[in-house]
Amino acid sequence: MKRKKQSEEGGISPLSTFLKAKKWSFSRLQGRLAPYTFLAPALIVITLFFFIPLVIVFILSFTKLDITNFGILEWWRPANWSLDNYVKIFTNRFFPRILGNTLVYVALTLAFFNVGMALLIALITTHINRRVGFAFRALWLLPRITPVVVYIMMWKALAGPAPMGIINNYLLGPLGIGSGEYLLNTSPWVFVILVNGFIGASFGMILFSSAIEAIPKEYSTASKVDGATTWQTIRYIVLPMIKWPFLFVTTYQTLSLLTSFEQIMLLTDGGPGLYQTEVWALTAYHRALTSYFGNIQWGYGSAWAVVLVVIGIIMAIIYLRVFKFGELVQEPKIDRL
Amino acid sequence: MKKLRIRSRIVVVALTVGLLLIGGAISYAQETETITITVRARAKPPMENWRGDNFLLAAEELNADLKTAGDPRRVEIELIQDNMEWGPFLSEFVLGYGAGEAPDIWLTGHEYIGAQAEAGRIIALSEMLKEFPTFNLIIDGLWNSTSYKGKIWGIPQDAEARPLYFNKALLKKLGWSNTEIAALPGKIEKGEFTLYDMLETAKEAAATGVVEIGNGFWTRPKNGPDFTAFYYAFGGETIDSFTGKLVFDRAAGLKYYKFFYDAAQTYGSMGCLGLDWSGAWHPGVSGSKVLFWIGGTWQWAEWAEKFLKEQGGESYMWENFGFGLIPAAEKGGKPNTLTHPMAFLISSQSKYPDLALALIAKVTNYGPNTRHAIASTHLGILKDQTEYKFYKGSRLLSETLYMLDYTTFMPNNPYWGPYSTITYEALAATVGGDFTPQEAVDFVVDGLQRELGDKVIIR
Repeated sequence: MKRKKQSEEGGISPLSTFLKAKKWSFSRLQGRLAPYTFLAPALIVITLFFFIPLVIVFILSFTKLDITNFGILEWWRPANWSLDNYVKIFTNRFFPRILGNTLVYVALTLAFFNVGMALLIALITTHINRRVGFAFRALWLLPRITPVVVYIMMWKALAGPAPMGIINNYLLGPLGIGSGEYLLNTSPWVFVILVNGFIGASFGMILFSSAIEAIPKEYSTASKVDGATTWQTIRYIVLPMIKWPFLFVTTYQTLSLLTSFEQIMLLTDGGPGLYQTEVWALTAYHRALTSYFGNIQWGYGSAWAVVLVVIGIIMAIIYLRVFKFGELVQEPKIDRL
Repeated sequence: MKKLRIRSRIVVVALTVGLLLIGGAISYAQETETITITVRARAKPPMENWRGDNFLLAAEELNADLKTAGDPRRVEIELIQDNMEWGPFLSEFVLGYGAGEAPDIWLTGHEYIGAQAEAGRIIALSEMLKEFPTFNLIIDGLWNSTSYKGKIWGIPQDAEARPLYFNKALLKKLGWSNTEIAALPGKIEKGEFTLYDMLETAKEAAATGVVEIGNGFWTRPKNGPDFTAFYYAFGGETIDSFTGKLVFDRAAGLKYYKFFYDAAQTYGSMGCLGLDWSGAWHPGVSGSKVLFWIGGTWQWAEWAEKFLKEQGGESYMWENFGFGLIPAAEKGGKPNTLTHPMAFLISSQSKYPDLALALIAKVTNYGPNTRHAIASTHLGILKDQTEYKFYKGSRLLSETLYMLDYTTFMPNNPYWGPYSTITYEALAATVGGDFTPQEAVDFVVDGLQRELGDKVIIR
């Protein structure tokens, strides 16, 4: 009954219903197929470039495929599959360091920049002159739209040793701090977080700003009339009303940071000390795709990547529970009246 | 009427000439076949560009030879050369081969020969070489680096020494006289100045403020061939000559890791691991912040061209930098260095390996090889090359040539990659203070056995 009603209202009835119908006509078939035709390109692209690679990576993670046996090892045969790679990961002497680095990197970047700084910028720029706020937000987009290699070269120039390094030469030097060392060697984590945070903050900034702008002005006006301070307005009106974008940004940016490594690779390549700034995704890349003498282990690297996917899924489930995602996506009660 | 007749004749003549030209071109095209030979090389621009550029000149010569010999084939070169990292460079070849797109000529480090020969991606050249006597010009010892399981799989392209460089100005600040500085390479060669003597000097330099702590002695900042020379200096072996398997020697390994542990923890050195090459390492050594460092002869050209051009390039460097062999581990011991020859390999997917080898023969001669040697400060690979007029012009090449008498190589074993990764991780952990020397050895033994099983011999 409900389905029939949907169809009458212009909803999409399943193709199977149409096929069971007695009266066929080409135009009706065309009408029924149209939505699937529109979906097909996306489905093909996702299947080709996401699901199939995902399955291949998953299978590879159970094999010992590497540069020495490529073209020789029949990796697709279950006889060549084992859990050795996973055992190697969890018994790796440096596994705790890499895991710790990943957690520190994600937590600090997320807290201070991708969510914290993003929220701060959004709040400030929506509470000042509209044009100035817009210009300020546009400036914060620059790190995101700058090509990553150029962006990292800029940071290297900033962190360079005296007299070339900009921070050393114009900031620390005149203040008499340090002895002009290469700052990527002395404080690599500061730079890893800054570099990623400056890019990451803009994403949350845009979403938070638009969410704040969308809050009807009457609420804040009413709160002012009631004598609320700016902080109280933010705490009791703005923040509760941007809960949904807050969940989205936190979840999305956590997963994004977990899998990001390109900036770290270009900046420190996991150094300067052994695995000092090496995060999980970078290890997967190093193991699977690059090493000085070409010790390239596709199987082992895939296992690192698969574990990362599992960590990501667990994190996403935790977020959905903590933020009570189910309640957030319920239809607004007002619409039922 | 007469004019018309003349015009008609001109048109007829023009048409005839045109037809003859077209016919000639068609007939020439039918008689000759143009073959594209792909050359893939890794080269740091602009110093090492002759690695590939020599082939462009060689193609003209080969085409002349082919024409004279009545061979209808003509070659044209598709040259791809850049400064890619070794790992991706290797992956590109392996995956390219998998896709049926391997280059005809692949110029790479000799240590990849074992793995590629085993996988059947390159061809053995032993028999084919006989057709090109110019290959007899290559210094006999270098063929060892391109041999695997009794066959020759590659043609050496260049060689180098990895000297211990020292900063003369900093030694003077430390109180060394010009005579003492000038005598240092000789003392190293005789085994009178050892690795620990070097560390003592480095420690003194750091203690007196001549260099900062950590800057007494530097190696390269990342994994690479240089470390193997130190392992050899302490009596280590990497290959079992009887079985061809990789070898790790616990006793030599312990001395090797103790040396680097001491260097970092006791002697104020080794503040170099993990540094960015162009951001910190090159500026550090070329900027007179480091007393002793291990580098390659090819870096001499790099420092002159990229880092010290404004200060006077090579003339500044001759005044301020000196070099000797890597010192012996003990008094009276033998110093060493390590050569990592690049080699031309021919892909088994090449349809014309004879033409590829003919091109390699053309670039394996005094003129082309010397052009590359001088521009990149790599050592020559040919007999009597030091007598060649243009080679003599390079002071560095002449003064470092004796180092080839002390040189060592890395093994051509398919599993050198994992071996090198594990032994280097232990070294980096030792330098960082994460491992004691004994822990480093245990880590290596455990890692090698787990990774390579019976493919490695632990002694």
